[in-house]
Amino acid sequence: MQELLRFEDVSYAYEPGRDALRGLTLSVAAGERVAVLGSNGAGKSTFFLLAGGVLTPAAGQIVFEGEPVRRPTDLSRLRRGVGLVFQDPDVQLLAGTVEEEVSFGPMNLRLPESEVARRVADALTAFELTEYRRRAPQYLSGGEKKRVTLADVLAMQPRLLLLDEPAASLDPAHARQLEGHLARLHRQGLALVVATHDVDFAWRWAGRVLLFQGGRLAADGAPETIFADRALLAGCGLEQPVLFRAGRALGLDPLPRTVEQLEQAVGKERNTP
Amino acid sequence: MRGKILNIEPLSLLTGALAALVGWSLLAGSLPRPWPAALALALGLALALGGHSHGSAVQIDRLAHASRWADMNAALKTLGCCGLLVLTLCCRTPWPPLGVFVYTAALCMAGGAGVRRYLGLMALPAAFVLLSAAALLWRWAPAPGGLADLPLAGGWLVLDAASQALARLVLARALGALGCLYLLSLSTPLPELLAVLRQAHAPALLLDLAVLIYRYIFLMLDTAARMRVAAASRLGYEGAGRSLRTTGLVYANLLGRSFARARACQQAMESRGWEGQIRFLTRRHPVRAGHIALFAAPAAALLAALALGG
Ligand SMILES: Nc1ncnc2c1ncn2[C@@H]1O[C@H](COP(=O)(O)OP(=O)(O)OP(=O)(O)O)[C@@H](O)[C@H]1O
Ligand SMILES: [Mg+2]
Repeated sequence: MQELLRFEDVSYAYEPGRDALRGLTLSVAAGERVAVLGSNGAGKSTFFLLAGGVLTPAAGQIVFEGEPVRRPTDLSRLRRGVGLVFQDPDVQLLAGTVEEEVSFGPMNLRLPESEVARRVADALTAFELTEYRRRAPQYLSGGEKKRVTLADVLAMQPRLLLLDEPAASLDPAHARQLEGHLARLHRQGLALVVATHDVDFAWRWAGRVLLFQGGRLAADGAPETIFADRALLAGCGLEQPVLFRAGRALGLDPLPRTVEQLEQAVGKERNTP
Repeated sequence: MRGKILNIEPLSLLTGALAALVGWSLLAGSLPRPWPAALALALGLALALGGHSHGSAVQIDRLAHASRWADMNAALKTLGCCGLLVLTLCCRTPWPPLGVFVYTAALCMAGGAGVRRYLGLMALPAAFVLLSAAALLWRWAPAPGGLADLPLAGGWLVLDAASQALARLVLARALGALGCLYLLSLSTPLPELLAVLRQAHAPALLLDLAVLIYRYIFLMLDTAARMRVAAASRLGYEGAGRSLRTTGLVYANLLGRSFARARACQQAMESRGWEGQIRFLTRRHPVRAGHIALFAAPAAALLAALALGG
């Protein structure tokens, strides 16, 4: 797969002497589905802010689409190519109505107004927000706000989408709906990186897991290998996903990613003897 | 426990009392005996019960978004309200401005602002207006001799006909002007107003600042509300002393918290390609003849009144 974003030995500190992120080296390819795990303060959000071009590394360099990010023009290239959805929607919401809100990014891309209008309409349709377009975003519910922030960023048509704990304020139904949106975006070829505390979601959804611990990248690999390492998980305050453990206990191979897969696998075994 | 219906706040009570006093002073001598007192009392009660509303910035914004007139061309509304305002201030008798107030209030009601909410939003400016009216109406004199006199500090507080006439005019103009401003702000979301100003080539820096202030009002109110709830859940408001201390703490921390949020907001804007100018794609509302008439008719009436010596 074609590489999109690469971090080369990147460090960042909010306050001198206390690195929030240390010696981070990794790369994300087009179309990947990456879950970022780690306890509070591990550096997940800092990683996102660096990847989104909001913060600039104190040391090391970031390479986007093959070209290193050095000058301010590179930074704006990075911001255009990478969409960042913040954990707290209220931090992101800006305009008086939903449609104005979604138009903010495309207007900043200096697109012609007709193109902006088209993109806004598309993004609103994709996230079932058309009937909310005249409403004020600050008075929407948590789930609706989350959808607006997604539409916001996708109207800019990024190649890489970063979501910081997207399910944090969502009820189960809206969390499922969000996963539906993620699946659709994946089918459209977007690379998705999602920070989460939910190992079950990471197991169900991700093709790759990044594990952060105390500002360092503690592990980077396939979910099967990372979730098999109990000592590593315990060090980050995480547990094994339920389906992973159930699959192991039943001796299934491949391990089930969803309840349906589990049911199917168990049903087959029952029927074979 | 305070009852739901009698949930009167100190400020509304004060405004109500002031309204009753000023109302009576304005009418004393021009109406038969029980009427000035009765009308004054009714006015006072209305304002006191209307109640001053917490977070009125939020309420104004909500009403503006929900208003029936939100679809009206914002430039027309701005121009219309400002035009009526100027004409109101030119009036030399109290009746035309009062008419403007009634008309604009009626438009607000037609737009969907309830009577109670409208009165509640009026309570705050009303307190200022009424205080100035009281100062205009009553003056201290060594001897009695007006329409009404109150003994005070070795002399008298006197209400005479000349100051009554002046106060009537000032109060009527103030009410009319408030009516125009309220019509504009209760029917036009601030972003649309800013778009109008942008069309009128107001300085971009000023407008960007306005957008940010508009946004931070909500952030601050929200942060303050969250902190208040969190403090209340830890019994921070039990007892007057502790209540005062908690309030102090909340406001002391509000600034720091708001700065942290403001920085996060700026980061969010930068990540969406913001490079110093805030621009949205705003919806255009066509100017309609019916809407023009809503402003042209009262303006014509005012002009006629002015020509006839109003
Ligand atoms: N604005 C800031 N100023 C100073 N220090 C900060 C700031 N933001 C984060 N930090 C510090 O940087 C470190 C990494 O924080 P970061 O927000 O990246 O963690 P996180 O993995 O996103 O945690 P969480 O799961 O709680 O969101 C923490 O030690 C935190 O205290
Ligand atoms: Mg975080």
